[in-house]
Amino acid sequence: MRVRVTNGRIFDPASGAVDVLGNVLIEDGRVVLDNSALHADETHDAAGCVVMAGGIDLHSHIAGGKVNLARLLMGEDRRANPEPLGVFCGCGGGVAAPTTHVTGCRYSQMGYTAVFEPAMVGANARHAHLEMADIPNIDTGGFLVLGNDDFLLRLIAQGESQTAINDYVAWMLSATQTCAIKIVNPGGISAFKFNARSLDLDEVGPHYALTPRRVLQTLQRAVTELGIPHPIHLHGCNLGVPGNVATTLATIGATEGFPLHLTHVQFHAYGKEGDRRFSSGAAEIAAAVNANPHISVDVGQIMFGQTVTASADLMAQYRNHPLASPKKWVGMDIECDAACGVVPFAYRDKSFVNALQWAIGLELFLLIEDPWRVFLTTDHPNGGPFTSYPHLIRLLMDRDFRAEQLARLHKAARAHTNLGELKREYTLEEIAIVTRAAPARTLGLKDRGHLAPGAVGDVVLYADMADREAMFSAPRLVLKDGRTIVRDGEIVDLVQGQTYAVKPPFDPLMDKRMDRWFDEAIGLKAKHFRISDGEIRGGQGPSIVECVS
Amino acid sequence: MPAAAQARTIRDLVCGFCGLGCDDLEVKVQGRSVRPRSACPEATALLERSDGVPPVPRVAGRETSLKEAAARAGALLAASRSAVFSGLGADVDGVRGVFDLALRFGASFDHAASGGLFRNLDTLQRRGWIATTLAEVRNRCDLLVVVGADPTPDFARFFERALPVASGEVADGDGDEAPLFTNRAHPRRVVFLGDLAGPAARAALAHYDVSHIPVPTALLADAMAGLSAFVDARSVKTLAGAFDGALGAALAELAGALKAARYGVLTWNGGALDPNDGERIVGHAAAIVARLNETTRAGVFPLGGRDNLIGAHQVALWRFGYPLRTLVAQGEASHAPGLYATSRALRDADLLLHVSAFRPDPPPAFSSGPLIALAHPHTEFAREPDVFIPVGTPGIDHAGQVFRMDGVVCLPLVKLRDAGLASVAQAAAAILQSGRTP
Repeated sequence: MRVRVTNGRIFDPASGAVDVLGNVLIEDGRVVLDNSALHADETHDAAGCVVMAGGIDLHSHIAGGKVNLARLLMGEDRRANPEPLGVFCGCGGGVAAPTTHVTGCRYSQMGYTAVFEPAMVGANARHAHLEMADIPNIDTGGFLVLGNDDFLLRLIAQGESQTAINDYVAWMLSATQTCAIKIVNPGGISAFKFNARSLDLDEVGPHYALTPRRVLQTLQRAVTELGIPHPIHLHGCNLGVPGNVATTLATIGATEGFPLHLTHVQFHAYGKEGDRRFSSGAAEIAAAVNANPHISVDVGQIMFGQTVTASADLMAQYRNHPLASPKKWVGMDIECDAACGVVPFAYRDKSFVNALQWAIGLELFLLIEDPWRVFLTTDHPNGGPFTSYPHLIRLLMDRDFRAEQLARLHKAARAHTNLGELKREYTLEEIAIVTRAAPARTLGLKDRGHLAPGAVGDVVLYADMADREAMFSAPRLVLKDGRTIVRDGEIVDLVQGQTYAVKPPFDPLMDKRMDRWFDEAIGLKAKHFRISDGEIRGGQGPSIVECVS
Repeated sequence: MPAAAQARTIRDLVCGFCGLGCDDLEVKVQGRSVRPRSACPEATALLERSDGVPPVPRVAGRETSLKEAAARAGALLAASRSAVFSGLGADVDGVRGVFDLALRFGASFDHAASGGLFRNLDTLQRRGWIATTLAEVRNRCDLLVVVGADPTPDFARFFERALPVASGEVADGDGDEAPLFTNRAHPRRVVFLGDLAGPAARAALAHYDVSHIPVPTALLADAMAGLSAFVDARSVKTLAGAFDGALGAALAELAGALKAARYGVLTWNGGALDPNDGERIVGHAAAIVARLNETTRAGVFPLGGRDNLIGAHQVALWRFGYPLRTLVAQGEASHAPGLYATSRALRDADLLLHVSAFRPDPPPAFSSGPLIALAHPHTEFAREPDVFIPVGTPGIDHAGQVFRMDGVVCLPLVKLRDAGLASVAQAAAAILQSGRTP
């Protein structure tokens, strides 16, 4: 089966093709070198369209226990937003905490074809995988949460070798079928279980007497030595705390040259200047990112409106729960492994703090110079639902539109941001980088985020429109592995995706240690914790991301 | 002629029955027979299988093929206007299959063991709580309060799993043995608030400091209100109940102990709470834990989750955005626990589809329309179903996944034997398929 897309303006920065008029040929689901002698079974005329690879969201909470708790708390959101009726209705709904079917449909309707769940707790990994298998039209993968698991903290505290730690990390990645390591508040979630209420980068935590810096550095070294493509994906200390810009800068300083990804950095870019003791630290963070090529970030832009925040960082969520709206929240300590906290929240443009958070996110987008090191996220649903991406893209691409939105904000907040002076507008090439090429590169997905021969046949056609929000809301056409799944922004087909995992090797002796640990401490057999390949997507098995040695 | 099947001993078997998720059972399997060697009484009874040939599907009492039974079920479902799906005892794949049927034909659904879950959801969904999981209880809990009935009859190994006795061979902080974080010189304390602990619970907790605050069932909610007030340091004078005697003193002491504990846990068996007071009791437990967390750490640990109840709850949430007791019809799901609880929904039903793969529980009484049963082969029916498809049990007849009661851990079940029984997922798929092929 051959599918040809003709006459499009191709934006494929990874291959060096930017705004080039051309064709894309897909054969049996993969991009191949086009040759006019090859007959296509299906041809799509992309005249007047911008052609990009399928979008990739590397940080969006789409599946697992905390997402289901969010759904449980967000009954109003669900009731108010049922899925549209029709052939492709799954009888689900919701915006802030959408059902699996809605998640897959809405993402693919915007031209996204791969989404990564950035906080899979090992104990809950089987659940998250089962749920991801129920999400149509997108490929998925999970980042394993480590850094508060008692087994690891004890290894570090007892001074075990880096080799032992690497074996453990590799064992856990393999057992949970995940593709990267996420650290959430290093040591802080564990500290909260011992009743500590905060833990700064160089503060010694309870019980294990470890600093977050030590936990971070140990895992950075493990990920590097194991050759896992994506660096440590860090949700740092002191999320949401005014003044945390100092912690974030110190964290960048702590990396000692090891690559590091700072996630939802907007929530970690707060100063405490001014009469309200809350200010933008975006300029300092951006300067540090610009000066340190081994650092990448995703923004975690906030969007005004109702959402729900779901995080493994129970220490932070406990601190924030008095702000819950509506007034309810769930917290949970999880299996000597991690935790979760789910707090509904409404961001208001008339709130000084929320308005400034909005501005800080945009400042970061506009001040970080290298688009290959900044990824477009709202930390769905924490900063806002992923369905707001087209609006966010317009804010980045359209200075006048941005100024109009800024003018609506809380007056004092406007006085505290220099956003109005930032003239930069993202180009289509930069959008293709921050939503496609860059996330594929950092995740080690060699066949994604571009349109060169060998790439997966995920191709998106956007009608070129001045209103970038309208343009990115409803692509003319979305092909998934060469198959048409969306036409004019409407679902026309549902397909099963794949799930990515890494499988770094480890010393088989680690099996014995883990058997004993699970038997004695956890009260569950290690072999039952471990997820077999056959359990991934109903027997399809994982797609392996190669480690770099 | 095939050689007689060799007997195999299967160790470390995962159990999907009560929801506690024990995974160290042992059975002997020979041909179709399954003989439990090491299991609690409930699992022993539910795992046991003879070498006999299980029944085949029946339509109105007549033996037939799966295909024909599925076709008849499909036709009945297509003709129904208000179908009710009850039981829902199936592994995750089975639940997904049953929900596919609801999407296709329209139906409300509920699980046979959801009574306790909805008592909990009344608080969890409206206000939330701080909860904990089994491994955290094992390793951190220094004061466990058991509210209401002794859970041992329903969850035989709960205390053994949640509060194991350390061998004492290794010093604190060394080795892997639970508890990792409690002070072993200072024994963990367990307080039964409500009923007295039975002999099995007392035996399992022999190494711990066990005490009782006896409260009659009818007064338990008032006692919890009192405990909550003592934890809050509020006056109990305005509360119902007498707190100036021994009960008040005991509750005040317990409140102090919870505040002094490093990791207090409140547990209860939602299914065994008094239906009139269950919601109040759960609400007080969550409020007590919320207050304790202001100064120390604490969590709730609700017991429940028989026959993959929690799995059905989770799949309903991720598929439809609502818990169980939801109606799916005409492209829309609507959740109304009052209307779609099985007993209430059956009043207006014109068809009942009952699913029970884990145990031979008969369907609820229903006489105003066809009965379809995807049920355990040993089920004894008060009324012959219009369609009976005997289904295999997850963890015996086929592999699958079930959720543990805490909602976090999901466990893999294995296939022990081949007795020719369809899984619920296969039966549901056959019904779904029947309408599509001429």
